[in-house]
Amino acid sequence: MRRRKPVDATLHGVVDYNAGALLLTAFPRLAGIEGTRSAKQVRTAAAVHAGYSTLTDYPLGMVKLIPFKAHLAIDALGAAALAATPFVTGQFKQGTRQWLPHVGLALFELMSLAITDPTGRGDYHGDVEAVRRANREDPHRKIHDGSRAVAVST
Amino acid sequence: MRATVWSGRNTVQVENVPDPKILNDRDAIVRITSTAICGSDLHLYDGYIPTVKRGDILGHEFMGEVVETGRGVSNLQVGDRVVVPFPIACGNCWSCEHELYSVCENSNPNAGLAEKTFGHPTCGIFGYSHLTGGYAGGQAEYARVPFADVGPIKVEDDLTDEQVLFLSDIFPTGYMGAEFCDIGGGEVIAVFGAGPVGQFAIASAVLLGAERVIAIDGYDYRLQMALNKAGATDAINFNEDPDIVEQLKDLTGGRGPDAVIDAVGMEAAHGHGALHTVERVKQATRSESDRGHALRDAILACRPGGIVSVIGVYGGLIDKFPSGAFMNKGLTLKAGQCHVQRYTRPLYERIRKGEIDPSFVVTHRLELGMAPDGYETFKHKQDECVKVVLNP
Repeated sequence: MRRRKPVDATLHGVVDYNAGALLLTAFPRLAGIEGTRSAKQVRTAAAVHAGYSTLTDYPLGMVKLIPFKAHLAIDALGAAALAATPFVTGQFKQGTRQWLPHVGLALFELMSLAITDPTGRGDYHGDVEAVRRANREDPHRKIHDGSRAVAVST
Repeated sequence: MRATVWSGRNTVQVENVPDPKILNDRDAIVRITSTAICGSDLHLYDGYIPTVKRGDILGHEFMGEVVETGRGVSNLQVGDRVVVPFPIACGNCWSCEHELYSVCENSNPNAGLAEKTFGHPTCGIFGYSHLTGGYAGGQAEYARVPFADVGPIKVEDDLTDEQVLFLSDIFPTGYMGAEFCDIGGGEVIAVFGAGPVGQFAIASAVLLGAERVIAIDGYDYRLQMALNKAGATDAINFNEDPDIVEQLKDLTGGRGPDAVIDAVGMEAAHGHGALHTVERVKQATRSESDRGHALRDAILACRPGGIVSVIGVYGGLIDKFPSGAFMNKGLTLKAGQCHVQRYTRPLYERIRKGEIDPSFVVTHRLELGMAPDGYETFKHKQDECVKVVLNP
């Protein structure tokens, strides 16, 4: 049996929205960075993440514009950018709390990517070609050809 | 023997498991020749039915040859060809005596669990979680059939497996849904969902004399099957226009259908945009067990005084039930897991007489080992898939 990654597109979407909500609301206070530049950066990253999640072509996307694989690529770039931000701005010199949340969130994102199945629309794991080869019926013919299968009541 | 087992959310595997044995005098062992993946199996596959465990054998639509019987089974002989109804029913309790087989009071060893969930116990079902008894299912080479003196129907004609297999579930289920609509001739019936059960609901409404049958789905190929094979007169693709209620009014002179059949159930998916996304999130996070678009629209679309027939499977709770529309329009709601044993004989006769050929829904016939790909293909509507039959 093919081994596949355990997080499908639906579960990835659940994590996207839940993590986004947490980062926009309680996370800065829980991380002790409320009121700092770091809080603004984390909230901005969360808002952007939630925004492109709504535009992703996966089961929890509202407007399916961005392919799921592209969403994952944006996730990876976003994680790298978030981790780099405190070092680019120099705020890492102000103490651990000004860079550790960024790096921690980036690692969480990368770990999530490592266990997400990137196939197609995210959650079709079958081998449709194998099914076609093995199928002893012809679906198209069954649907479109031949006569009605039910007699009209008289 | 080989069997299709649940291995976690969105995962089934075909594994070697111990052969079933007679455990009770009223048991029979059936060597399975054909079995099918049901739309309601997808609720297990998707992880929405609680109490399914890793290693549980799936499948509740199956038929085959009797290879062993218990001492209490006198109506079947070794070698008989049988179709097995999905509800396991004792035949002796009050419910069975009133032909309410799917709420049999004796066949579910976990009746207490079902009672807590639903208020009353429900019957045992093959391969459908421990809430319905934890019975091994029929997507396997062999199955133990409890109360074999009550459920299985013998097939004594030269009909193919595909012609009679669906007497196990989806044909009687669709028929019961149409029968709920009190069709006397001339009615307009709308059927939400053109999956396998919806196809049989449409065909049954035609058989019972409906004048117009409107099929509603999001996939053109399924609507084509409804029009070309099942006898639907009209079709609505909600992906082209999600306002189903308005379209049904347009098709019925503003009145609405006389009856609406919900053949969709708890995983409804149609174009309500943001609402659908909210419901997906709520269901995925387990804050709502069932998505209710189809049932809501069925209630809103049905004409005043009409009937809403629910045969799609629901498991728990839906939010925003339109109680105002339901009450103020004076609707009648009828629902239920099918009392299959009530219908097998009359529907078998209809097949025998050539009134319907149920094999029309079979788009995929695969070897049992292909079950994992079969589940995925069916779930994701790949390759124009409507119904998958597996041959062990």
